Amino acid sequence: MAAAARRAVFTGLGVLSPIGSDPDSFFTALCERKSGVRRLSFADPSGLPCPVGGELPEFNPKKVITNKDHLKSFKMMARTVQMGLVAATVAFRDAKLEIGRLDPDRAGVEFGAGMIASELDDLGRAARISMTAADGPVSLGTWGEKGIKDIPPLWMLKYLPNMPSCHASITLDLRGPSNTITESDAASLLALGEAYRIVQRDVADVMIVGGAESKMNPLSQTRHNLFQQLSKCADDPAAAHRPFDRDRDGSVLGEAAAAVVLEDLGHAQKRGARIFAELAAFACGFDRARDGTVMAKVIRTALQRAGAKIDEVDHVNAQGLATPAGDRWEAKAIREVFGPRTPVWAPKGNFGSAGAAAGVVELVGSVLALDRRQLPPTRNCENPDPDCPVHVHTKGIRPIERPFAVKLNFTDMGQVGVAVIRRWES
Amino acid sequence: MNHSRRVVITGMGAITPLGHTPKELYANQLEGNSGVGPIFRFDAHTFPTQFASQVKDFDLAKHIRDPDRFRHCGLNTKFALAAAKQALTDSGLLGNNRVDRTALGVYLGSGEGSHDFPNLTLSMALACPADGYKVDPTTFYRHSLRTFGSAHEYEMEMHTTSGHVAEEYALEGPNYTCQTACAASGQAVGEALELIRRGEADAVLTGGSHSMIHPFGVTGFNLLTTLSMRNAEPVRASRPFDLNRDGFVLGEGAGMVVLEELDHAKKRGAPIYAELAGYGTTADAYRVTDSHPDGRGAIACMKLALKDAGLKPGDLDYVNAHGTSTQVNDRAETIAIKDVFGEYAYKLPISSSKSMLGHLICAAGVVELITCVHIIRNGVMVPTINYETPDPDCDLDYIPNKPREKHVDRALSNSFGFGGQNVSLIVSRFAD
Repeated sequence: MAAAARRAVFTGLGVLSPIGSDPDSFFTALCERKSGVRRLSFADPSGLPCPVGGELPEFNPKKVITNKDHLKSFKMMARTVQMGLVAATVAFRDAKLEIGRLDPDRAGVEFGAGMIASELDDLGRAARISMTAADGPVSLGTWGEKGIKDIPPLWMLKYLPNMPSCHASITLDLRGPSNTITESDAASLLALGEAYRIVQRDVADVMIVGGAESKMNPLSQTRHNLFQQLSKCADDPAAAHRPFDRDRDGSVLGEAAAAVVLEDLGHAQKRGARIFAELAAFACGFDRARDGTVMAKVIRTALQRAGAKIDEVDHVNAQGLATPAGDRWEAKAIREVFGPRTPVWAPKGNFGSAGAAAGVVELVGSVLALDRRQLPPTRNCENPDPDCPVHVHTKGIRPIERPFAVKLNFTDMGQVGVAVIRRWES
Repeated sequence: MNHSRRVVITGMGAITPLGHTPKELYANQLEGNSGVGPIFRFDAHTFPTQFASQVKDFDLAKHIRDPDRFRHCGLNTKFALAAAKQALTDSGLLGNNRVDRTALGVYLGSGEGSHDFPNLTLSMALACPADGYKVDPTTFYRHSLRTFGSAHEYEMEMHTTSGHVAEEYALEGPNYTCQTACAASGQAVGEALELIRRGEADAVLTGGSHSMIHPFGVTGFNLLTTLSMRNAEPVRASRPFDLNRDGFVLGEGAGMVVLEELDHAKKRGAPIYAELAGYGTTADAYRVTDSHPDGRGAIACMKLALKDAGLKPGDLDYVNAHGTSTQVNDRAETIAIKDVFGEYAYKLPISSSKSMLGHLICAAGVVELITCVHIIRNGVMVPTINYETPDPDCDLDYIPNKPREKHVDRALSNSFGFGGQNVSLIVSRFAD
């Protein structure tokens, strides 16, 4: 490997989640086993196969973004984009970074994002006036002639997946590398890995790494209800997402955004930044057979790069998708590397699956856990599945004594990312 | 900069409007042929723009066995599978079990699939009152859940393209997909380079694939007024750096290259087409709607690529411009090139492949990189066609209309995307 002398640390955190919209309340809610999953409220969900999910209880971006020029561009942003921008801004401020004092050419941004669905109201009338009869169909000819004129001119820019990072680069004046990773449930963790490489190769000192995803709109709900394996436990929403539990039957959708400031250690120390934890290593791969073989190899590679022994790992922060096959697959890989004793924690039990945002949102959980020496319990894993032979931590707050935590995310196709973080000893 | 692990290109593949192999593409580019014509992917006769640069006669069955497995996939994934197979075959990595498959990665800059236009618009129309804008979600759910195809919706997701490619060709190393609009495949190539330099992979199949020639794609670009509307003369519509340019021409396709660590390539006797010597990436941090008028981000980006390659501006022999044929891009890119290269900018030949191919969006960067490799190997630079009336603001040598012979050792390829995303790649003749 090339010289990897530069170390990277976390110096700022921002999180918006169904169980808390700042790091403190997020972590407290995790420790108190709170659930953010309820019957959906953004629109009447009665027609949906899975009418429950994790929504942000309140989201008021104007509390965070106060600059008039930046506020003006809010109408060009889908909810996902607004959430990502707010999380990035909060993390930036949490790290006590200041526009004007930070060298903009040495600061960049990486996001994990997915497809951002169009709001129906942007297109509804265009579709309506293009109908040929009362029951359809929509005429492409009329759409081209009249429909298009009825759509907001900047429609497409509102929904491009790279918009969270572009708006963050504009709002926070980040002129270094900017990228958006779109690998589904592994997206934002893979973005973190890339940001780590960027800091290590010395083209940036500061990277804002985020993830944002809201499926709280009708088009996303239809699409994900059709192809994603979602829970049928609608009558008890808070108990629906059950990672590694014997009776799990699928995920629930949660909306969330988070961002971390990943900073070169020397840069952070020079400006006296508060350090939460260190990113000790990252590795990724593709588990083609979907049997845990490559996933286990990727975990081992990450541990080796971090110089972490198995008994130095406090916990594995798992994907915990709560699908029957997904959790078995993941548990097999974790078991192969760690054996039966290392605690496994799956924070999705509290707020559901936040897709592309999940990696960084969940990572913030482990960063805070290491910082506070407390591991929260996994919610809804009441009867651990014998087919998932790992030690899921389910009861109470566990004191943290070991220095490392492992964050794992993967997609349904097999893209895997693994980050190893180390608690910071000042 | 001195990189301890050098990275070379050992395979190439392309499915484009001007040919279904890299070789065919370059032959057409030397002829100054255009891939542009009336849109046949859907009935666009009432759209503000009615033409595009489309891939003709594409049949996945000609490329892989049992293509029915991918029937629910979008064109983006089908193009990617075909171009990937070419590149891997070319490099000798297809089905090669003498190499560690977990050290072979995939990094694509690839776009999403296309929405089911008839059923999505009908589901909205039936849920929208005749005199209003508010779509009723309950009615929408009722129609959309019944009419959308779950497999089609799934295959629109962006990770499926790199997933299918990795699965089909047994590539078990790092697997990434990025989406930075028109810069995506250039950025993918650049970050793939870094994966190899850092030892996280021995080789990476990288590039991009995209098709936005569908009703929502053309709608979106037409609304932004970025597409040419020269409906009477489609072939003459893409005219980068010409005074009378009026927007870009939407294209589609895929390009793939195999990047490989030099010693790894040598040890297995792989063909070495060129060296990927430098990569720079920056953000304008200016506006999502426009690039910076002084080319701020583009300037920093080209300088970073030069530094990364350990080269001075005068070392470059050719630039493949982003050159979209929009008023703003071509002017800002010209300003940026002058800033980086100074007086030498006037001696440096520049061309825009988009004059012939149109804009392949996420796939643009890598296809233009493949063009640079051909230029280095064959000594003939591709022209900028449709260049008729010089623009006083664009006063450099754009290789107008006819290919030109020149010994090119080092070429720069630029890609700039919506939101202020900039990528520059430098490719060099390989010398041991």
